[in-house]
Amino acid sequence: MSPILFYVLSAVLSAFVLIGLSMQSKVRSAVAGNLVCVCVMLLAIVLTIWNALAAVDAAKWLGILIGAVCAMAAGLIAGLIWAKRVKMIEMPQTVALLNGIGGLASALVGGIELAKGSETVFARITAALALVIGAITFTGSLIAALKLARKIDSRPKKFKGHSLVSVLLLLVCLAGVVLAAFDGLNIVSLVLCAVAALLFGWLFAMRVGGADMPVAISLLNSLSGVAGAIAGMAIANVLLVAVGGIVGSSGLLLTQIMCRAMNRHLMDILLGKTVKLDKPEPKKAEAPAPAPEPEPEPEPEPEFSLRDAKNVIIVPGYGMALSQAQHKVKALCDKLEANGATVRFAIHPVAGRMPGHMNVLLAEADVDYEHLYELDAINDDFKNCDAVVVVGASDVMNPAAREAEGTPIYGMPILNVDQAPQVIVCNYDLKPGYAGVENPLYSRKTGIRLLLGDAKESLDTLLAELSTTAPKAQTEAPAFSLKDAKNVIIVPGYGMALSQAQHKVKALCDKLEANGATVRFAIHPVAGRMPGHMNVLLAEADVDYEHLYELDAINDDFKNCDAVVVVGASDVMNPAAREAEGTPIYGMPILNVDQAPQVIVCNYDLKPGYAGVENPLYSRKTGIRLLLGDAKESLDTLLAEL
Amino acid sequence: MDILTHPVWGPVILVGVFIVASVLGYIIIKKVPSLLHTPLMSGMNALSGVTVLGALIAGVVCAANEQTVLMCIALAAAAFAMINVAGGFAVTHKMLRMFNKKGKEDANE
Repeated sequence: MSPILFYVLSAVLSAFVLIGLSMQSKVRSAVAGNLVCVCVMLLAIVLTIWNALAAVDAAKWLGILIGAVCAMAAGLIAGLIWAKRVKMIEMPQTVALLNGIGGLASALVGGIELAKGSETVFARITAALALVIGAITFTGSLIAALKLARKIDSRPKKFKGHSLVSVLLLLVCLAGVVLAAFDGLNIVSLVLCAVAALLFGWLFAMRVGGADMPVAISLLNSLSGVAGAIAGMAIANVLLVAVGGIVGSSGLLLTQIMCRAMNRHLMDILLGKTVKLDKPEPKKAEAPAPAPEPEPEPEPEPEFSLRDAKNVIIVPGYGMALSQAQHKVKALCDKLEANGATVRFAIHPVAGRMPGHMNVLLAEADVDYEHLYELDAINDDFKNCDAVVVVGASDVMNPAAREAEGTPIYGMPILNVDQAPQVIVCNYDLKPGYAGVENPLYSRKTGIRLLLGDAKESLDTLLAELSTTAPKAQTEAPAFSLKDAKNVIIVPGYGMALSQAQHKVKALCDKLEANGATVRFAIHPVAGRMPGHMNVLLAEADVDYEHLYELDAINDDFKNCDAVVVVGASDVMNPAAREAEGTPIYGMPILNVDQAPQVIVCNYDLKPGYAGVENPLYSRKTGIRLLLGDAKESLDTLLAEL
Repeated sequence: MDILTHPVWGPVILVGVFIVASVLGYIIIKKVPSLLHTPLMSGMNALSGVTVLGALIAGVVCAANEQTVLMCIALAAAAFAMINVAGGFAVTHKMLRMFNKKGKEDANE
């Protein structure tokens, strides 16, 4: 085949890829568009084999053809089986893994080109670059997939000098590429590029947090295309370059869209600047336990009770160790969390009898270490919390340390428990601690409750109070019922994905429509873990795509609707994004759920979403109903009412 | 002689093709609604498997030069790339059909 004919055919095939993609911008033509791309790929493979074999002598070509076909068939079958088995919920990690495999293939092609030695400098440089980018994509995607599949902790992981090591690794990659340009053998540059790039990809993905994954996946998507395009440059294949370029720009476009929707800068995400480390644990907010315990909102009572506390700090001390109360403490923590409260532990450096004493005990009782905060990390939060529970601690929170000059504890850094509005002290007695200085906290007029005696018994008292909470969510005005709503908007979020509640959502939608109501879905661009995540899940549950509205298309309608049902979404409808300057979500476009007259929130708890910013919507006076716990059960409640 | 192996024109043409394809792709893909972003991504996964062409070309050259080890690596790369092609297209198809149930029923009638 003459080169000219080959180029013309390549151009035609590239054009058809673009046609197929443009068909994918409409739901009706999208399936056909995808099939166009399949056909292009098939023709491209046939064309390439034909063209490549033409240069091989007749004795060898049959063997080569058989080998190539067998290898491709193996990949084909594996890919089809995988696609058949994959469930919709696993889509984010599937996409991430596919990115990685594409990167690996491009890296191998780049590596082969380097190893066999090319004549031109351009071919050697591009081969090295393909190796580098492909390898980064491979390990980066692998980590991203593991994080998305929850096989590893999805929070950003950073170590000291993370950025420095990353930059050094990139420099090593660069050195490898430069060496490749001059080195005839290229084995040194090959190893340098491969190892440094693999490590860099790993480091890069480790510090991207769970909710920033849409950005990371999109970027890796882009990289897998760029790696292919550069591999195409190395072997001088126009078709490969063109298609790789298309994939690269598509990924870049998605990355831009995701960043804009989260009001984040790409660099912040890549550098792991997700949430402040002293903020309440973001992961908990999105990770419901398998058997959550939905409890109705308690009625405020004149006497303070932990039932009303949404933000609790526990201060353990040596008394907890003496009473062996750590398991009770854990039970209290779980109960409070089931109640929708955020629970953190404030660990004073010298609480207990050895460094890290409290940490060990709490770890023994299965308290997640993410709940444990050091003095500096939590000390400013005491004034904002609802309640503090002190378990066997005295000196470490003795305000006398600030003023009582001459006493042994003067000047010692203490936990600012005295700044909290409500303090419950579960100490054995009120005698001063080891330092012998009276604690003025015990005698303050308000906001103090003393439970003396064995800490275990005191904790039992607190636990009992929490469990006797009578369900009385609807004692005020008759709770708003969806029965009367004629115009309903449903706002799904990542919680719907976690709870796999999309089928219940569909059932609710059908029920409402049978009732004569109009139901629409408001889809925020970054709801979920990848672009279009909610759409896929709802499509799986047979929700007609015509019901799905993008942010701009529906945002003005919230004020006119009768009710909004929120299913597992928080940040995307947090009105704080409009005013709370300095928070991660400030300026992010949000759904105007707060303009709706009635809002029903089916979230697991009231903790802030990934961004760590409290949602003022939850505490508004009227027109809000909170159904906490597993979204599926909350939706069942709503269905039963209808 | 193939112009793409020319020391000057080869790189110029290849980089030019890359830029043109990226810009055209950007313009066309911009029209894809956010509704279809996940299928778009998995479709792009499949297309990034186009690197199978590179693996094939490299493999054939290596085989012709009797570089057996490199040829085996090339075949492995071809297999990996095909996982992407097949898996990506199949997953995309699965999702798009899910979106398009109504359209499909109409077509069947």
